[in-house]
Formats: sequence, C-alpha cells, structure tokens
Amino acid sequence: MRNLASLLFAGGLAFLLMAIAALLPFGHPPVLAGGAILEQAADQVGAANIVTAVVLGYRGLDTLGEITILFAAAAGLGLVLGRRRAGAPRDPDAGPVLRTGAALMFPLLVLVGFHIILHGHLTPGGGFQGGVILAAAFFLPLLARPGTPVDHPGLSLVEGTAGAVFIVTGLVALLTGGEFLQPLLGTGTLGTLFSAGTLPILYLALGLKVGAELAGLLARLADAETDT
Amino acid sequence: MSQIALTIALPFLAAFLLPVIGRVYEALARVLGPLVLLYCLWLVLQLWGTGDGHPVALAMGGFRPPMGITLYVDRLALLFTLLVSLMTLLLWPWQRAADSRECALTLLLAGSASGLALSGDLFNIYVFYELVSVASFGLVAVHRSGAAFVATLRYLVISGFGTVLALTGIALVYSQTGTLNLAQLAQLAPDLLAGPVGLAGFLFMLLGFGVKGELFPVNTWVPEVYATAPARASALLAGLVSKLSLLVVLRLLVLLYQQEQALQLLLLLGVLGVISGELAAWRARDLKRMLAFSSIGQLGAMFIAFSIPGNAGLLAGLALALHHLLVKPALFLLAAGWPGAVERLRGLARGGPLAAGLFVLLALSLIGVPPLPGFWAKMLLVVGLAGQESGYLLALAVVLGAAVLEASYLFRVVAQLYHRDEEAARPRPYLLDLGSAALAGAVLLSAVPFISPLGDWLAGTAAQAGDREGYIITVFPAAGRPLYSAAGGGKPALAAAGPLPEPKP
Repeated sequence: MRNLASLLFAGGLAFLLMAIAALLPFGHPPVLAGGAILEQAADQVGAANIVTAVVLGYRGLDTLGEITILFAAAAGLGLVLGRRRAGAPRDPDAGPVLRTGAALMFPLLVLVGFHIILHGHLTPGGGFQGGVILAAAFFLPLLARPGTPVDHPGLSLVEGTAGAVFIVTGLVALLTGGEFLQPLLGTGTLGTLFSAGTLPILYLALGLKVGAELAGLLARLADAETDT
Repeated sequence: MSQIALTIALPFLAAFLLPVIGRVYEALARVLGPLVLLYCLWLVLQLWGTGDGHPVALAMGGFRPPMGITLYVDRLALLFTLLVSLMTLLLWPWQRAADSRECALTLLLAGSASGLALSGDLFNIYVFYELVSVASFGLVAVHRSGAAFVATLRYLVISGFGTVLALTGIALVYSQTGTLNLAQLAQLAPDLLAGPVGLAGFLFMLLGFGVKGELFPVNTWVPEVYATAPARASALLAGLVSKLSLLVVLRLLVLLYQQEQALQLLLLLGVLGVISGELAAWRARDLKRMLAFSSIGQLGAMFIAFSIPGNAGLLAGLALALHHLLVKPALFLLAAGWPGAVERLRGLARGGPLAAGLFVLLALSLIGVPPLPGFWAKMLLVVGLAGQESGYLLALAVVLGAAVLEASYLFRVVAQLYHRDEEAARPRPYLLDLGSAALAGAVLLSAVPFISPLGDWLAGTAAQAGDREGYIITVFPAAGRPLYSAAGGGKPALAAAGPLPEPKP
C-alpha cells in the first residue's frame, strides 16, 4: 500500500515536471533583476567578477545564510557523532608514495586555495571554492596518516573568528549609517587586487570559515569509529 | 528601523563565537545566548514603540530592490520577530546549557526564524527556511537514542525532499518572471503567474514550505520527531517554526497567488490535514504522539482559514496560529513530565495538581470552550467559512467534527488524570517546564477580558498583511522619492546609483 502510494506520487511528480518542461518556452527567459545587475554591477560594486558582486554584494544576506547552514550542519553532526574510544584501532598509515605525495601537495594546495580566495573578486573562484581547496589541503595528510592528531580547538577558533569577521564587517556598515552588509571603503579601480571595497575581506573570512569547517567536518567523520 | 537586521545578525554572531568563548570563559558562554535573545527582544519592543505602524522596506547591503534583498517590516513581521525572541528565550535549553553546540543551534534557529519572518525575497526565504531545517535536525536528535535517530533521519529525508520541491517552485517562478523580489513578483503575478506553470510553482512551494507547517502529505515526520525529541525542541518546532511556515504561505497567497485554484488547493490539503490529523490523534495511545497528531489537525485548520478569500480568512488564520503558538508548546512541556501511554497517567492530578489543572485549561482552550481565547479563534474560522460557497461549507463541517474529536481525545486524557482509584507518585514536569507552561496559561487567562481590543488589533494587522498594493508601494515608492526615509540622512551611496529598472514583462 505504502509502496503503491509512493509510486503514484513519484509518477505524478514526474508527469507534472515533464508537462511543465513542455510548457516552458526554450530560449530567452525574462531576467529583470539579472539584467539590471549585469548593467550596474561593475559601477556599483567594483568587482570584476560579477558572480562575486552578486554573491557578496547584492545577495550578501543569502551568503551569510549559506555559511551559517554549513556551520549548523557541522554543529549538528558534532552533537550526533559518537566519541571515539581511547583504544579503538585505526587504519594503518599509507605507503611512502602517498605520504610523501600528501606532504608535497600540502603547501601547493594552501597556496592555490588562498590565491583563489583572494582573487575571488577578480577572476572566477572565491571563498567557497578556495575554502574547499584549503580543507582538502588539511584533510590530505589525514588520509595518508589516519593517526595524525587534529587540532579541533584551533579549527573552531578559526571558524568562529572568521564567521564573526563576516558579520562584524556587515555590522560596521549598519552602525555607520548604512544597511547591514553594505560594502564599505569605496569601489576602487575595477580589476585591481585592492578593489571592490570590503568584498575581499568578506571573501577571506568566508574562505577561512568554509575551509576550517569542512576540514573539521571531514576529520570528525574520518575519526568516527566504524562497526567493523 | 534598520536595526531590525540585528535580530538576524546578533544570534548568528553569538552562535559563531559560542564555541570559542566556551573554551575561554565558560560561565559567559552559558548566558551569552539568553542575553543576546533578551537584547533582540528589547530591540524589537523598542522599534515597535517608536514605529508609526506603517510598513517599512529595508534594502540589505544598500542595494535597491529588486536587485538586492529586501526586508519587509510590517506589524505582522514585527510581531513574529518578537515572538521568535520571546519563545526561544522561554524555551532555551537550560537543562543542557553546558553543551555549546546545542546553544549555538538554538541561536541559529532564532536568527533564521527572524530572517524568515522579515524577508521580502523569495530565495532569501528559501535560505532561511533551509537554515531553520538544518538547525532543527541537530536539536531534535540530541537524546541520541535509536528512536530519536530514526525519527530525525525521516525528518531529514522529508525536509530534504521538501527543500528540493520548494527550490523547483522558486525556479519555476523565476523562469516565468525573472525576479525574486516579492514586491516585484506581486506586480507581475497577475500577468505571468496565473497560468499552469505559475500554479505548479505554487504547488511545489506549498509542499516545500509546508513541511515545517505540517501540511497534509509532507507531515509524516511529525509524530515520531515530537515523540522522541526533547520537549523544548518539540515545543519550538510545533509552536514557532510551524507558524513561520504559515507566514511564508500567507505572503505567497497574498502577493503572488490570489486566483481561485490556489485557494482551492490549499483548502483541499487543509481539510485532508484536519481529517487525518484528528483521526490519528483520536487513535493515538501515547500523549506526545496524540499532541503531535492533533497539531497536524490544528495546522490544517489554519491552512483552511488562509484559503478563505479576503481579510476574514487571514484574520481567522492568524488568530488560530497565535493561539496555537501559545497553547501547544505549553502542552508539550507538560507532556514531557508524563511519558508513556495515556493509561499510565491515571491519578496524576493528585501528585501534581497544578500541572493537571493547567492541562485542563489549555485543553479547554484548544477545543474552543468559551470564554477562552481558543473559542474566539475558532469562531472567526467558523464565521469565515459559513459566509462562503459549497466547498467551504464542507470544510466547515469537517472543522466542527474535528472539534468534537478533539474534545473526545483530550477529555480521555483529563479523565485519566483525575482518576480516583490509584495513588500516584510519578515523575512531575521539571519546575522550569512547569513554570513556562504556567506562564502560557496565565497569558491565556489574562487575554480573556481583553479579547475585543486584541481582536481589533489583530484585524488591523491582518488587513495590513493582506494589503498587496501597500506592500508594492512600500518596497517601490513612487519614482523620485528615496527608498526609505532613514533618519539622519545616512543615505547609502550605492543605493542612489543607477535608476530603478522598469518592471516590465
């Protein structure tokens, strides 16, 4: 009975989606807000990468929500995951090739991650992408040597401070007579590293937060005891 | 009025900093959350006092709508922001205050709930709704029992499904209109969203945002989660979060979908919710499950109320919602001290006369016995339904029948509580839970003599919330005037740049 109901529901949903897809005209959808942003973003925000102008400028509140979702997910996981017993066995270290590879990759990944974060307002990329690369940099040694101790207090310090910097930057705008999350410091020259006002600061905070959060999350998951 | 954004930002900030502060100075971490919520409460009250009652639109980041995100502050949004701070404060997890993660999640819930109440942007609403979901996943699983994990997993899957549906609906709306700003959508909706694609968008958004509102087909998570989650988390979800979901549906209906088909759809799902919820509650043997099922039924009645065209429906729905927001959390807190099947409550009134008396009072108001506020809320619904056509009369019959069922199963509990045979020495509710429930009972009783001015005030609020033209004019004032009249002339430089794009299809 329940399977039948699920089947009917799924079938109906698929039919509805297909019918809608057939109704939607192909090609030129209306882009009211998008068109306006494309015209004005370079002057208003000063970020050469318009995606960044949208992510941190026009829809900064959404971005704050997104990083908070990641934080909430990490906190929820921390509440739910079991603690590791002291004597629980771990996987053995990987072979020398992997260990050396991980050690070699670490500085390169950190460099690439920071480059992508700091150039987020100029070229494709930004805090989310760079943050993930940073997290990978710190997770790679853990894969090669599962016994490596993880500095969770340090990670949560970076995570908390970076999140606070993001919000405080927004609050400074509010307290100086603007609106919450309004970009400050002028727009600068389009295309230079020091442009787009406070957006690079926001992206740096965002990147560090995403990196620390994801690294901590992956480390916790890897650290959780398995049944075997 | 710009400071209202603090009710979103400060809880987030505190939540981010809690783990850091907890390591350095634990006593501060314990009280930081309540302090922040207290400040938010004070702030909203102050804004309430200084405001002139007219709605205000705030451009987040200083970017004019429709390009930036708008916060829309009317009386209803302010009321909900106030209730968010107040309820989170009352339902703060004091018993487990040592765990900074749980406090952080509660703060995140408060901040995102404020955002949900204030937001005037469809995608922003989605983001905050998702944040409410993710924060609540952790909160309902804190007991870490097998049953709690199973319940949370089901909740997670259904919420995830709902999220996808809501996103699909938003994508459909965006594909038709090219904007996400609610005010601009309200301008465009009569032309662009009246067709089948627009309606399908409504269906998807209704099912998606209805997950927290315990809407009929997407509410199967409710009984298990409320039966296994901590009472304070259940109370927050059933009392507060479900009402925010209703608020989103209200905004969608008022601004985007005033056509008859949308209302009929809502009516149908509401009626099904009432029938299924109340029947399941009638059959339930466990008190928490009974309360959870009856919550589905009562929220169904609110969806029915919103499906009545015009302000009468909004007024009835809001009255029901506020009443439920007061009564249901208190009932959950009382039930926390009485675990297990209804039969095991036998004779509990002798052990805890105050708790039993409160239960009777709250149950009477929930059933709708005059002169308690619950009666007037149901009265508004019945009067609203009676003035309508055929389908609504059927709903009227369902609502009245549901009241009889409600009376039957709630009195079953009351009869057990006041059973004479046995001596009872059972666990009583925690003092803190009992205190919060008693506060709700006191508010309920003290509302009785003021029911008429309260009703007038609520009618004004409903009229303002139902004013579509007012919403559009507030967000897009006539050309040439500033977006909002910020005192002190601190006009954002960015907002002044560039003309407002003409909203045209």
